[in-house]
Amino acid sequence: MSGLSGLSVPEDMVLRPRPSALKFDLVTKCSTTKARAATLQLPHGPVSLPMFMPVATQGSLKGLTPKQLEETSCRLCLNNTYHLGLKPGQKTLDAIGGAHKLQSWPHNILTDSGGFQMVSLLKLAQVTEDGVRFLSPHDGTPMLLTPEHSISLQNSIGSDIIMQLDDVIATTSPDHARIEEAMHRSVRWLDRCIAAHEKPHSQNLFCIIQGGLDLDLRRECCEEMVARDTPGIAIGGLSGGEAKAEYCKVVSTCTSLLPDNKPRYVMGVGYPEDILVSIALGADMFDCVWPTRTARFGNAVTSTGVFNLRHASYAYDFRPVEDGCKCTCCRPPSEGGLGITRAYIHHTAAKETAGAHLLSMHNVHHLLDLVRQARESIVEQRYPSFLRAYFGKLYAGDKNKYPQWAVDALGGVGVDLMA
Amino acid sequence: MEPTNQPKLEQLPAEMFTIIKAASNGIGPRLGTLALPGRKAIQTPHYLGLTSRGVVPHITQDNFARATSISGVYVGLEDFIEKAPPHTPPLYQFKPPDGSSPLRRFIALPEQTLLVLGARRTPPLAAPSANSNTHETVAVCTAVGFRTLRAEYYAEVVEGLKADIVVGLGDIPFGRALGHKRVVKATDRTIQWMQDHVTRRRAVVERTAQARLFAPLLPVSCAKQQHYIDSLTQDLASAISGLAAYDLASLGDLPDSLGHLPRLGFTAPSTPHDILQHIAHGIDIITIPFVIAATDAGIALDFAFPPPARNATNERDLDNPLPLAIDMWAATHATGIYPLTTGCECYTCTSHHRAYLQHLLAAKELLGWVLLQIHNHHTLDLFFAGVRLSIAGGTFEQEVERFAQAYESRLPEKTGQGPRIRGYQYKSEGRGEAKKNKAPFTMLDDGREKLAESALPAANADASELEEQGFAEKDVQ
Ligand SMILES: [Zn+2]
Ligand SMILES: [Zn+2]
Repeated sequence: MSGLSGLSVPEDMVLRPRPSALKFDLVTKCSTTKARAATLQLPHGPVSLPMFMPVATQGSLKGLTPKQLEETSCRLCLNNTYHLGLKPGQKTLDAIGGAHKLQSWPHNILTDSGGFQMVSLLKLAQVTEDGVRFLSPHDGTPMLLTPEHSISLQNSIGSDIIMQLDDVIATTSPDHARIEEAMHRSVRWLDRCIAAHEKPHSQNLFCIIQGGLDLDLRRECCEEMVARDTPGIAIGGLSGGEAKAEYCKVVSTCTSLLPDNKPRYVMGVGYPEDILVSIALGADMFDCVWPTRTARFGNAVTSTGVFNLRHASYAYDFRPVEDGCKCTCCRPPSEGGLGITRAYIHHTAAKETAGAHLLSMHNVHHLLDLVRQARESIVEQRYPSFLRAYFGKLYAGDKNKYPQWAVDALGGVGVDLMA
Repeated sequence: MEPTNQPKLEQLPAEMFTIIKAASNGIGPRLGTLALPGRKAIQTPHYLGLTSRGVVPHITQDNFARATSISGVYVGLEDFIEKAPPHTPPLYQFKPPDGSSPLRRFIALPEQTLLVLGARRTPPLAAPSANSNTHETVAVCTAVGFRTLRAEYYAEVVEGLKADIVVGLGDIPFGRALGHKRVVKATDRTIQWMQDHVTRRRAVVERTAQARLFAPLLPVSCAKQQHYIDSLTQDLASAISGLAAYDLASLGDLPDSLGHLPRLGFTAPSTPHDILQHIAHGIDIITIPFVIAATDAGIALDFAFPPPARNATNERDLDNPLPLAIDMWAATHATGIYPLTTGCECYTCTSHHRAYLQHLLAAKELLGWVLLQIHNHHTLDLFFAGVRLSIAGGTFEQEVERFAQAYESRLPEKTGQGPRIRGYQYKSEGRGEAKKNKAPFTMLDDGREKLAESALPAANADASELEEQGFAEKDVQ
């Protein structure tokens, strides 16, 4: 690593740790893979890592009440700063007293910086050293989002975990110089975010490792950012269409350089397989809009795959969405659940909002429960066999169907899926 | 077909509907109790929650059980039969393992909630042609458009679904008046259909789990449908447990011999004033489409019965009637950290506040409609409780008068956009027609799918407004 930046700060040299509003307790490290089980104490209660975080973009999760979200066992959900900044806006958030109060959510909230949404949603967004320049989505007026703005907004939102503004470049970009520039700029912006952060004792600022698919850039970025000692660390710029094998290399490279005693969040991931492999590579936190977005189209996420319940074949299927699922939707009335059938989801899908709400409940519960089971297996030192069983069930025992990237990535951390 | 086991069949439980208090002349508001086996008894006057495809719009079944007190629901069979013909609708093939009601289990309705089944949903969509019903069929609107429902088929299938109450099929031309000649025809048809239905029911040996049959009244005075009324008071009398009214006209000259039957109102009140009027005409249980319309319009109902005390000598009070509801779209609610209506104890008002509601509506988040639906039905629960108390106390008429003075005559106009138009508001009449739901925004780039998650702010917000909101700063290079 020498010669990358000339900057090397061993852990014992961090004399004055930055203020933090979390406590990270490592419970178990998997003896085979790089997976970890931990408990993270946050301002609005403890959460167990690894963890899946559903996305309540504008302060609500696809028609579910906070009570219903709580029942899926969720204790940390995402809000998007870009959206809350537009509606209800900072002034209103200040008047109300933040996003927890806005949505009556007694548990934790994580917000992104708003930058990614801007760059990905607004084609004309342009990044300069000052910040992200963009044209107002309303009238085309040029606007500027700075690191200071982003932090100020997130301070008003009051989220338990806030993210630095970073310079996000698609990992698939061919412009290496631009990727390198973005990495360095993200480090500089982190410094501005730290300086602008007014509530370090109640909100945890996470840095975001950038560097595209260039592992050297990623290493350099890890070093720079770890030295800045934020309460948690995110790996950013992924889930943008890069090859999964490349993705895995980046995650694994970064986690190897990150301290054991901090939570690691891979942003925008993802699908169940991606999450389980990333856990094996040493990541702890994941978020994705997919389970709820896909519910709107009638897709049920289950341990044997994703099924579109709008398909005619489900009209007469009177089984629960997933046999044995413990969610409110699937559980039979005798166990206090609703006993909703696939046929009923089919009956309401795309016709009544409640149909999508029911499926969102199931899908979110499925992801949360999957990661909970993964954690249990890590604690009991049986994560490798958990992974083998998971892939076996998902592909009905047909190993030829296992994705090569997953086989390779898990092979790299000592789990032979094909065994 | 003459049933062989006649004596056993006539043991209709007399205790299903008990009239607690009614005017001696038979017309006027009345108090009662509707009690069916296994269901929570319903004190009347009361209302039924309206469903679309088996669900009170926006209210998932767990929220229904936990966050509402809706004591009974009405379900339209037309919501379940788009596959027929040629296929058997899924609902008819559903056989819950414990032998319980397939309909109740399919829609996951709580055990204690009264389940009332009829052919058409409420409010029904008017059939496209004037003479949509025939001697054997009525026009119904399924998810794939208008279809004909055979009376014989209806009688057969509703009995298998094990609802608590089934509304018999009537020749009701929804959305159109019944002309003199048409009344004669409708009377004959409805007599025939009801007689056939009753004959079918009498042929069943095991009748304990049978739904109670309510007879539809044609939307004209009893005098104008005299033959049918005669049939109801004579040959059908022992098989009928209640009446379904589609117009107040049919209650005005209802014979005493039918007075003991509970009256279910499909009379489409459009304001709480109307509800009171319909109760005054003797409706016991009413369906209220305007609640769901108010929810979709982003309007929180805000009325109480009896009305709050106001100063009769204060001209300000008299000149300024109270609004019946609050438009939750109004930007003035944006920072209101208080309940939708003062003192409301519904889930929405005890867990959330106006600011959140306003935000959810403005952001087009579906939860807004969920929370409004809960509040609006709670408002009705209290309203009906107040109505019953005042009837019991003998003050109903005076309070109705006070209510008329205290409140505005109409609900506020809708200002915001409702949720995506769904099946019960609009049915496809063929291919190739224009989309009813305009995309809330259009994007020129690939951000479309990501943005579909959530609408952008109003198109008329300008940059300085954004800046004021603190979102970013205007770029003044
Ligand atoms: Zn489930
Ligand atoms: Zn309320």
